Amino acid sequence: MPLLDIKNLTLEIDTPLGWIKALDKINLSIDSSEVRALVGESGSGKSLVVKSIVGALPDRWKVTADRMNWKGRDLLSMSDSQRRAITRSEMSVVLQNPATSLDPSATLQEQIEESISDSQLDRGWFWQRRQQRRLIATQQLHKVGIRDHDVCLASYPHQVAEDISQKFALAMALVSNPKLLIADNPTMGMETTTKIQVLRLLAKLNKTRELSILFVSHDLLAISAMADTMTVLYCGQTVESGKMSQLKRRPLHPYTKALLDSAPSFRRDLPPKAALSSLDGTIPTLQHLPIGCRLGPRCPRAQKECVKMPDVRRIHEHYYACHFPLHRDKT
Amino acid sequence: MTPLLTVSNLSYCKKDKSWFGKNAGFRLDPLSFELKAGETMAIMGENGSGKSLLAKLLVGVERPNAGEILLNGEPLHHKRQRFQAIRMIFQHTKESLNPALTLGSLLEEPLILNTELDSRARKRKIEETLKLVGMLPEHQFFYRHMLSEGQRQRVAVARALILNPQVLVADEPFAALDPSVRSQTVNLLMKLQRDLGLGFIFISHNLGIVRHISDRILVLEEGKLVESGKTDVIFNWPKSDYTQRLIHAYQALISRDA
Repeated sequence: MPLLDIKNLTLEIDTPLGWIKALDKINLSIDSSEVRALVGESGSGKSLVVKSIVGALPDRWKVTADRMNWKGRDLLSMSDSQRRAITRSEMSVVLQNPATSLDPSATLQEQIEESISDSQLDRGWFWQRRQQRRLIATQQLHKVGIRDHDVCLASYPHQVAEDISQKFALAMALVSNPKLLIADNPTMGMETTTKIQVLRLLAKLNKTRELSILFVSHDLLAISAMADTMTVLYCGQTVESGKMSQLKRRPLHPYTKALLDSAPSFRRDLPPKAALSSLDGTIPTLQHLPIGCRLGPRCPRAQKECVKMPDVRRIHEHYYACHFPLHRDKT
Repeated sequence: MTPLLTVSNLSYCKKDKSWFGKNAGFRLDPLSFELKAGETMAIMGENGSGKSLLAKLLVGVERPNAGEILLNGEPLHHKRQRFQAIRMIFQHTKESLNPALTLGSLLEEPLILNTELDSRARKRKIEETLKLVGMLPEHQFFYRHMLSEGQRQRVAVARALILNPQVLVADEPFAALDPSVRSQTVNLLMKLQRDLGLGFIFISHNLGIVRHISDRILVLEEGKLVESGKTDVIFNWPKSDYTQRLIHAYQALISRDA
């Protein structure tokens, strides 16, 4: 049984132009101790998927799903407090851009100690509990590779370097020993050397603690170094999902291929300074979504049928949604 | 043949005025390099290694303490000459375009300041430049918020190109872009470089792109020039510690999938 199983997740937003489907039939499943990458450009709804998993969306937005199960229990029919209990103890989120998502007016020590729940402490007098909190906090920091914990804990978010605050956000998320870690763009804007450190850390946690990771990013290089399976989003629709190796060797959806081709690092045969292949245009805004397959206007293989939304088809463990996938010739 | 841009012994020291005597600020040690026409040079380095400072020195935002910058073998005397010949593309296009101006007036400003063209000639120049970067002449009536990210990047390139520069300096032009827009921009810049014979200097963290488009690389570390040379030499035989670490990290990322 998968840890998290989402089928046909749809998120509708009320706008002056009527209800708009920001997410349209998203499928996603994460097994235990699996690293799944969620790939998509900005505006493709990656962060909305993350937010609807943890339930951090405004009430007036409509979330519907055929299935949204956490270990077999339906998340959508749960009461708020039950759901909060799950998001507090079993999943953790590392938000995009940790330097800004940390509270600027509190020291890092106050923030990390706030995330340690009382159930993790032995009963004791208040000073003993304070010592225990401090101990847990320092242990966590050591685990993510922050050595001088005293300096780090005493400082405010603006005083630490960006990679440290990223690691700190990770430490905060791991305090509750979660089963699933959702990392929203954890390597954004980092240098290669720091990026490698964070990725190694995540890989180690995945091995040693059997932590499942949902790795949300558009950095394909980081993803390919990390993930076992990958789900590609375009404009709020799941385009393709499957094993990382399979997807990379033989993408079936034109968008996946374009995405992979856009990273010159993957193509050793590419002569220097050759033109990179890319799709025309940019990702449409929510107000101007095309009907049917949303890639339609940009897709090199689009035909008349593409105004209808393609069904999800499957070859072994490889799912794709396209009328004219790349393994079939154009007719 | 004289190189397009010659930089010799350029150095900079940030003056920190403090009440209690002199404080040593950031130093950029003397460095020299040459750039030929149609050549691309990448600057790599950690945060705070002086990459952006070097870009600023080249375009003239900051004044160097010593050393000189020669364009086609001649020193740059007039400010106007430099502003025309060396142009810059900024990192965050969203913030660097004025939201209150139409693209037309945005592009007209450098023309008014730096050239003697009358308004009709300016308008024609703006339309030509917009076409050059793959946009429509009608876009001059648009505002910043009406454009997509890729189009904004094109406008930034257009603003740099409108004075027919010889050297383009770009500070992380690809960092904030999505993969598909990024390859569009890369293609655009490479095409413009081929057509116009521009010298192109850019700063980037993305080693994949550096490897793909640059001819030569400068590596800076804490204000010192650590290494410089041809791209494939640096990627295959890095000499300094820092470069080795960087390249190995990059190779480690790629090779897992092979």
